[in-house]
Parts: sequence; C-alpha cells; structure tokens
Amino acid sequence: MRAGVLALAGALAAALAMAGPGAKPAGEWRAALELAGGELRFGVVVERDGGGWRGRLCNGTRCQPFTAVTQAGDSIVLEMADYAAAITAKVSGDSLAGSYRNVGNRGPRIIPFRAARGRWPVSRAPERLVGRWDARWIGDFGTTPRVIDVRNGKAGLEGTIISNTGDYGHFAGQMTGDSFALAHFDGSYVYLLTGSLSGGGGKPDTLRGLFHAGIRTQTPFIAVRSTGAPHLKTVTENTKADTTEPFRFAFPDLDGRTVTEQDPRFKGKVVMVDVFGTWCPTCHDAAPELVKLYRKYHDQGLEIVGLAYEVSGDTAVDNRQVRRFREKFGITYPMLLAGINLTDAAAATLPQLQGFTAFPTTIFLGRDGKVRRIHAGFYGPATGAQHAKQVREWEDEVRKLLAEKSVSP
Amino acid sequence: MTHRRSAAWALAALVALTPPLSSQASPPDIAQERAAYAEWLATAPNSPLAAVAQQPIGAGIRLGPADADVPIEGVAEHRVSERNGVVTLSGALGSRVVPAGRPISFGAYSIASGGVPGRRVVTIYGPKRKTKSAAYYDYATGVVFVGPLTPAEEPAKVRVLALDGIEVDAVEAGTVVVPFGGRPVTLRVRRIPTGEDESELEIYFRDATNDQGTYPAGRFVSLVPAGEGRYRLDFNRARNPFCAYSSAFPCPAPWRGNTIEAKVEAGERYLGGGLDAPRGLEAK
Repeated sequence: MRAGVLALAGALAAALAMAGPGAKPAGEWRAALELAGGELRFGVVVERDGGGWRGRLCNGTRCQPFTAVTQAGDSIVLEMADYAAAITAKVSGDSLAGSYRNVGNRGPRIIPFRAARGRWPVSRAPERLVGRWDARWIGDFGTTPRVIDVRNGKAGLEGTIISNTGDYGHFAGQMTGDSFALAHFDGSYVYLLTGSLSGGGGKPDTLRGLFHAGIRTQTPFIAVRSTGAPHLKTVTENTKADTTEPFRFAFPDLDGRTVTEQDPRFKGKVVMVDVFGTWCPTCHDAAPELVKLYRKYHDQGLEIVGLAYEVSGDTAVDNRQVRRFREKFGITYPMLLAGINLTDAAAATLPQLQGFTAFPTTIFLGRDGKVRRIHAGFYGPATGAQHAKQVREWEDEVRKLLAEKSVSP
Repeated sequence: MTHRRSAAWALAALVALTPPLSSQASPPDIAQERAAYAEWLATAPNSPLAAVAQQPIGAGIRLGPADADVPIEGVAEHRVSERNGVVTLSGALGSRVVPAGRPISFGAYSIASGGVPGRRVVTIYGPKRKTKSAAYYDYATGVVFVGPLTPAEEPAKVRVLALDGIEVDAVEAGTVVVPFGGRPVTLRVRRIPTGEDESELEIYFRDATNDQGTYPAGRFVSLVPAGEGRYRLDFNRARNPFCAYSSAFPCPAPWRGNTIEAKVEAGERYLGGGLDAPRGLEAK
C-alpha cells in the first residue's frame, strides 16, 4: 500500500513538473467521460491554428469542430458554444484530466473527463453482432421500442439507435468477448450503450444491457435480431396536419422581415418546410440533404423554408446561431426565426399540425400550398440503409409534387 | 435500473481508496463538484442567488408596478400568461415566449419558465445576486453506502416539488435501507426528470442536524448507479433545496417517512438567509 502511495506521489510530481506554460495540447487524444456505469470513449484532436488552437471532437470517424480551443496556463478549454458547454482539462505531459460541464437548471451538469495521447484501438464486431436489432427500453411503466443498428466501419464497430422519430446520432465502440460498448457524445447528448450478446447453439441471439444517458441515468434494454417486420412507427405516422387549407406560417427572417406562405417566391411552388433547430444534431444531418435537393430542383419549382426553433429565445443570439448554421451548410433558401425549441411551444406556433413531436420535422407542400406529407424526425447517415431510403423518399416526393400541374390555391 | 435483492446496505469499502493524507479530505470528484457548484451559484444566470421571485402563472400574472403580482422596481408593466403549456411575456414592446429553464432578458432582469403544462411557474432573476455560497461539513467516510434499490410494488407517478421549488412529474422508484446510527432506516426514492432521456434517483430526507447546522426543511441526495443493480448513496453529496438560498423559492415538503433520527453531519450546511422552512409538515 505504501509503495503504491509513493509511486502515485512520484507520478504526480512528474506530471506537475511537465505542466505549466510549456504544456503541449497538440495532437490526437483518446478521451473518455467517466459515467457512473462506465467510460464513454471518444476522440479529441487539437491542432495549431496560427497563434492559437483549433480542435475537433470525434465519435469514431465522425468529427465536429470545437467552437473554440483556448489555453490558459497549463489548462486547455474545448468549447462547444452551441450547447453552452465546455471541457476544461489540465495538460500533464501525455494526459488530460478535468471535466465536461454545461449549464443545468438545478446546478451544473458536470462529468469527469480524462484523455491520453493516441487513438482508441480499432475494434471490429463479430458477424453475430452486426445487423439490426429490435430493442425494448424497459422503463418504469412499460417498454418503448428502439432499433439498434450495428455494423463495421472504417473505425471498427459503429452504429446507431433509432426511435420512432429519428436516430440518436453516430455511435462508435468496441467489443470484448461477448460484451460491447457503443458511445455517442456531441457536446450535449451523452449516450452510452453497454451490453452483452448471448444465444447461439440453437438459441436465438439476444442483446441485453443498459442505455446510459448523462452521468447516471441508466435504462435497461433487451433486443432480438430484427426479422424485418415493422418495429417502429414510420416517419409519416407521428404528425398529421389539416390538409384542407394551405399551410400557413409567418415568422421574421434573419433580417427581421416577416415572411409568410403568401410570399411570391412560394406561389405555385412545391415547398419543403424544414422545422429545425441549430442545437439539434439530427437537423445537422438533414441540412446537407435539403441543400442538395434545393440545388437540384429549385429551377424546376422547389422552394425550401427553414423554420428555426432555437435555444435562447433571445433574438440576437438565435439570429447569430442560425446565420452560423446557414454558412456551415451553404444554405441559400430562407431561414426564419420561428420560436424556441420546446415541443409544446413549437407546436403552438404551427396550429395546423397535430402530434408535433420531433426536430426536424419536414412538411411537404404541393403547388396549392396544402400539406401532402409530413416526415417527423430524420434518419441520419449513422442509420446506413435507412438514411439512404429516407433521402430517396424525399426526392421521390419532391419529383412527384413537381410533376403535378400548377393550380391556384 | 432496479433489481430486487437483499435490502441490507453495506458501508462502502471506500476508506482504502481515499487519499491517506487526511481522513477528512474530500475525494477529488466531490471537491470538483463543489467547486463547479460554487462557480455556478456565483455566475449562472439561473442561479438561485440571483432569483428575486418565483410565481405560479395560473390565469395570468402582472409584473412590474408596485401593485402588480410581482412588483419589480424600475420595470414597466408586463403580463405573463400560459396557453397550451407555452408561457408568454407581454409588454408594451410586444410578446415573447419564455423558455423553460433558460432565462431571457427583460430589462435589467431575466425570466425563465418551468413546471408541468397547465401549472407553469416563472422565476425572475435580478441584476444583483447574493454573495454567499454553499458551505459543507468536512468529508465524512462513514456516510457512504452501497446497496440495492427495492423497487416500488407499483411504480406510480407523483407530482412533487423538485429542489428548485418547481413541480415535476416524479416516479415512486422504491426504497433503500441504510444502517444509520446502528439502526436500519428505510428511505423513499423518487425518480426526478432532469432532461431528455435523463433523470435522477433522489431522496429528500430530514435528520437530527436540521435547524442545528443544516437547513430545517431537509436536504436532497442522489443515488449513483454502482453496477449490478446496486447504488452508491453518499451523504457527503447532500444538498440544500433552493429555498435555503432565497425566500423566492417555495420549499418542498419533506417526503413522508424519510426521517433519519441520527445526525447526518455530512454534505451541505445552512448559512441562513433562506425561506423559513415548513416544520412538522410532511407530504403524503
């Protein structure tokens, strides 16, 4: 015991000797958040950017930039401004130690963070684990359906979790024996799926484990291999609309000018209404697909309008966030500040919708301005074939509506 | 996650893992949590130290003038209303939605909404805040327990005040039994929603230190999953409800049965300045 204490003290002294202004945060780091139920692994990359720093947060091969990377003495701050969140860590030679935190309602949401230089080793999933699994999250009052989609990618084991209204983003992970862990951390959502694979020898394969959200919320789940039979609602089952009248909206654009469905640019056009938020990772997945459709079909009569539901409710702050989102994706269609990102509040601003549940929600309007189809949620690239199918369905719907004759509403 | 197991809890074998420098030193994670909480109290826009009022909206309330429901010096008349769960602040310059838990500016003040639809409340924060911070007992090693949670026979929803004085739809999660002062004490555990997909298993308890160093109405402490259906209950993490910081917040009524006869000299202490705590009142 004493020897261990001395060794620890020696290591601490060595680390302290390496800290200070000479600390070198540049490089790749294998990072982890220490949740109550295990470590959530992800990658951090820090690079020189002129006289300062830049960096990115990676789940497997999927990376997103930090909004700012700053060094203060022997500590480094990795900011994620979209979520009012930051990782602050002390650089001690080849390790980082600190915490992730963002503002909570009843105190800060704080999770211990640590990292070491290098990349997490690539771990591939056995064929028995690869594929789609029909899962049930076991809650206090019954179960709710999810799909767990597992595959092998460039960075090894990866996948996603899908609900009735979209996916939880890209997960990356590892497998040891029959146990697996898949993690997703984007600066706001802290998700870890841990479990084990059982079955074989004539018994059906089954996954059992825990879904971890945040530092200490754990929900047990059980999953069996998907048979292909429907397990989730389809994206068009959740939200309905009044289809007898043209769909109405009236919100300010980023220059403060009120835009409505009566605007001449929408008259006689097929319109996709994108109900989104810059805070919503799935909306970031959907934006490039909208941009592609707009570029391809705008000349044939497609219009898109983004209705942004933002975090702060402060016009100046929300305007800045949406402008940044617009620049990030090269969006040229109008984007309007529609409200705040509470489902109830958003639903109240769009009273023609029934059962509004998800960001993003995509509303397809025919040339007469009436609702033809509503997709609640979005299957991001992490869902593989399901993503491709949804993108194909979007394009098919646009082409079908464009082919309809022009009518006067 | 809950598993039925023996109801006995054991003292966690933590002593061997704590730094040998001093038995009273806080483990780094607790020290870090406390530092972060102190910073949050001192700087967060929604810190209870900045709160000036919290008020149910009901059929609508007036803010500003001296005869308003919530008089606010130097603020022109505004109205707050709730419709379909959406809270709106209206004044001479127009109307704005008031987000839940995220203050929006309102002259020199800010305002946030909270609570369940139909029973929303607003909290108003001022430009000045109290300077006091949280104070704690020295770290105590004898108040850390690990054991199972015995699930409720029938999980039921129950509407309670969370530690920020706002009503939430909680779930009766079950009970834990801890050997406090040589006697087993059964404590009621409720799951309190904290965000999308996230919740906390909380115990609101009273003990013999209440009004004798700790807040008279009791304190909250969370269960932390410890693996294999077991949980860690560390009373060093006990914290005050927001009414201990400001009389702007209503105090949760202590949960029935959650009384520890022994002194729990661990976790957050009380420095005064809060709401006069309800005494002899227990929720059902």
